[in-house]
Amino acid sequence: MSWTGFLSPSWAWLFLLIIPLVIVYFLKLKRPRFEIPSLVLWHSVINDQRVNSPFQRFRKHLLLWLQLAILLSLILAAMQPFLRGGPGSSDNLPILVDCSASMSAIDTQGGPSRMERAKERITELIDAALPGRICLIAVGAGARQLTEFTNNKRILAEALDTLTVRDVPGNLVDGLRMAQALARRETIGTVTLVSDGNFPDLQETADGQKIARVDVELPFKLQFEQLETDAVNMGITAFNARRQSAAGAANRLTPWDVFVRINGSPNDVTSGEVLLEQDGQEVGRQPIALEAGQSKRLVYSLQTSGVSRLTARIVSDGFDGLSSDNTAYLELPVSRSLLVWCDTDLQSYRHALQVFPDVTVYPNDDASGQPDVYDLAITETTKKANPNLEASVRLVIGAIPEDLAQLVTTRSGNSPVVDWNRSSLLLQHVNLDSIEIADEPVRGDDVLDQNFREAGYEILATGRSGPLVLARHAPGRQAFYLLFHTDRSTLPYRVGFPVLIKNAIDITRHAAGLAEVRGQPTRVLAPRLLDRNTTYTVAAPDSSTQTFRTGPDGLLSGVPAPRVGIYRISEDGSEVARVGAGVLDAGESSLASADLIEPRDEELRVSASTTQIDTDRPLWPTLAWIAFIVLLVEWWYFQRKTIRASG
Amino acid sequence: MNTASSTNQLTTLLDNQALTRLERLRLQPNRRKTNRTQGEHASGKGGSSTEFADYRNYVPGDDVRFVDWNIFARLNRPYMKLYQYEEVMHVAILVDASNSMKFENKFERARQLAAAMGVTALMGVERVSAYVVGASGEPPRVMPPSSGRASMRRLFDFFERAECGGDAPIDGAVEAMLRRHRGRGMAIVISDFLTPASLARPFNLLYSAGLEIFALQVLGPTEIDPELTGDLRLVDSENGTTVDVSSIDELHGIYHEHREQLQEHVRRQSRTRNGRFLSISSEAPLDWVLFDLLQRQGWLK
Repeated sequence: MSWTGFLSPSWAWLFLLIIPLVIVYFLKLKRPRFEIPSLVLWHSVINDQRVNSPFQRFRKHLLLWLQLAILLSLILAAMQPFLRGGPGSSDNLPILVDCSASMSAIDTQGGPSRMERAKERITELIDAALPGRICLIAVGAGARQLTEFTNNKRILAEALDTLTVRDVPGNLVDGLRMAQALARRETIGTVTLVSDGNFPDLQETADGQKIARVDVELPFKLQFEQLETDAVNMGITAFNARRQSAAGAANRLTPWDVFVRINGSPNDVTSGEVLLEQDGQEVGRQPIALEAGQSKRLVYSLQTSGVSRLTARIVSDGFDGLSSDNTAYLELPVSRSLLVWCDTDLQSYRHALQVFPDVTVYPNDDASGQPDVYDLAITETTKKANPNLEASVRLVIGAIPEDLAQLVTTRSGNSPVVDWNRSSLLLQHVNLDSIEIADEPVRGDDVLDQNFREAGYEILATGRSGPLVLARHAPGRQAFYLLFHTDRSTLPYRVGFPVLIKNAIDITRHAAGLAEVRGQPTRVLAPRLLDRNTTYTVAAPDSSTQTFRTGPDGLLSGVPAPRVGIYRISEDGSEVARVGAGVLDAGESSLASADLIEPRDEELRVSASTTQIDTDRPLWPTLAWIAFIVLLVEWWYFQRKTIRASG
Repeated sequence: MNTASSTNQLTTLLDNQALTRLERLRLQPNRRKTNRTQGEHASGKGGSSTEFADYRNYVPGDDVRFVDWNIFARLNRPYMKLYQYEEVMHVAILVDASNSMKFENKFERARQLAAAMGVTALMGVERVSAYVVGASGEPPRVMPPSSGRASMRRLFDFFERAECGGDAPIDGAVEAMLRRHRGRGMAIVISDFLTPASLARPFNLLYSAGLEIFALQVLGPTEIDPELTGDLRLVDSENGTTVDVSSIDELHGIYHEHREQLQEHVRRQSRTRNGRFLSISSEAPLDWVLFDLLQRQGWLK
């Protein structure tokens, strides 16, 4: 690759202008006439000088040389030469632009944000890489291709202008995978990543370097252009609430413990106050001072009588580099009883449920008050077999899911429990040892655990011949399947049985948000159960709106939440729900920067480059200045000669 | 003292005070090149002047008036008394009136010097003739040989009316002069000697004509030290030819070398013929030239 090149070599035809210039010079050359008594001496002087000075011709036509220098400088400037610094102009160059939350950080008070500085550097890269083709890829929570490969500077500039920071953690892997995919259909030698280096899950090496490991093979050279970072920040990284006691529906006020976790900069001491607002009213204010890299959890206690919206804010004492993580939102639900459906045949379960004071078990004697949707359904049939029964959590006893009919069957026999997942929420503290089970689930021939996972099921307990307990997790839905019927086992007579019911109640309470509430992070709003087959409009904090439609299950899911703030869900203009989203990411709030990026192949470890981008340096301004200076020299020389001659 | 313009002045070329001083000066030739006509210069031959020279034996036919009778009375043999023979010396003054002399008061100074030389020659009872040569191909203006104080007016008139212009080189001017000049003596050549031709031939002609060469070079200040800069087209005032010179200020050193070489050439050509050479600036004060420089150089006494 040559160290220099021309962007417009076609202008070389202007070199033909040298011919008329020389001709005109000799035709029009006029020297001031100066009459002297005799040329005798001057003839001999000139003859002598020609012998002694081989550069006489050059000196004699100094003006010509100056004019040629001006012309050559202008022609070369028109050809737009450049010193090659970055990738070759003939390359395809994907540029990954980090647009995660940390890119909105300001490193010096009143200075530009990291994204603004990134845009400047990318503009330089674009100028340098043209006429090569460039593809801009924004890397936020996922990767978005902003442009196709193009050398149209206007398109690239427009795409760059529209690029904004998203208040989400960065996902470098997605960006690299997109570049990897592009490399399959385009020739890509180098991929440039412009980022502040704040990637998720940074690890520290023995020598103190922060390293971002990405499980991606890089079929190209990754050039990591790291922005210089020096920001001080304090941010909210967690915002949760837990109900203090299992208060029943009869209690008018529900006490909550609210937890706010604050993380500080890894290298600076930070301080400030954390304000807690409940429905717009300040209910708590605590000062906080953090050492470098320290994290603190603040606890607030409050009571609610219904749905309550909490907002936590940080008021920093000094400069705070990242403002988007200073606010977080939490919605405390209204306190109510847990609605549980339990088949009447499952007397052991109904009996066990009676000990929980905040649980209403259906069906009961009041037939008119049955809800449409239950929090927990304990049935002997699957949902497909009983589609009218809606529940967030379903515990199916003695039935095999229809989609697993080919994988497992049940036969009579003794099936001891071989092993179970003791850390699973359903089976924790439940001892299944020595339980006798009359039903024996048997997996089909050549059926492996992998087949169950591929079907979306997790095996929680395994018998001698096949799985005994399965779990299936779906957005807004959880289902647990006991493939044996407990009535034909000794489980109801064990102490583990009420523990199992308690676990199911806890899972349900968490799913319903009645026991613990977590702050909604940005990226995607949590699925929300609304009316079925209804169109909803979601207004983002930046006033942009998007329309979504719920399915037959009434679940509103997949709503992107790229910005911090309140998202309003409305139906036909009337607001039906309000969700606040915050960054809530310790990695983003720390503003820590990776020194290295280590792909799957460790030998291809990429170091961050914080120096100025080695871009192609255009030479035409220099040449234009040279032409101008030579023009001034020529003018001075010409005027000086005329003045002396006339004087 | 430059040009005497007052009506009380005898001539516009020289003021009366200078003339008075010039009358007491005489030209100092290295050799006496005289003519047969009787004049102020002792010839070495017997003559009729009052200055005794020698005796010789009487031979029949001698004029008995020059027999030294006192010697005859003592020795009883006749001896002839010989007296010094004083011959006249011709002083030919040649003034270069070509175009090159127009510049920087050169011709004016040449006329003044010529007039001054003529005055000293006339006051020395020499026969003075003057030639002003301008254009080649045209006959020179000539002042016929004249002598005596009475010719001073004629001399002044001649040089006052002399005009400058033409392309005659100095070698051609010498030839033109010699075609008309008769008589031995000295030739005072006043010119800038800016000629491409060698001066050997004209100086040989002068020498063979019995003229002792007094070469007086008059140069303008810019010829002595040109202060030109830049790129110029130099035009020869005599023939209009041009030469383009770039960065002329860088050539001053070489110019000085060539000017000094030219002066050395003229000096050498003069001296090898027992002549004299002197170069002066046209801006040099006339009094200093006449009464200091020329006397120190032995031209006048």
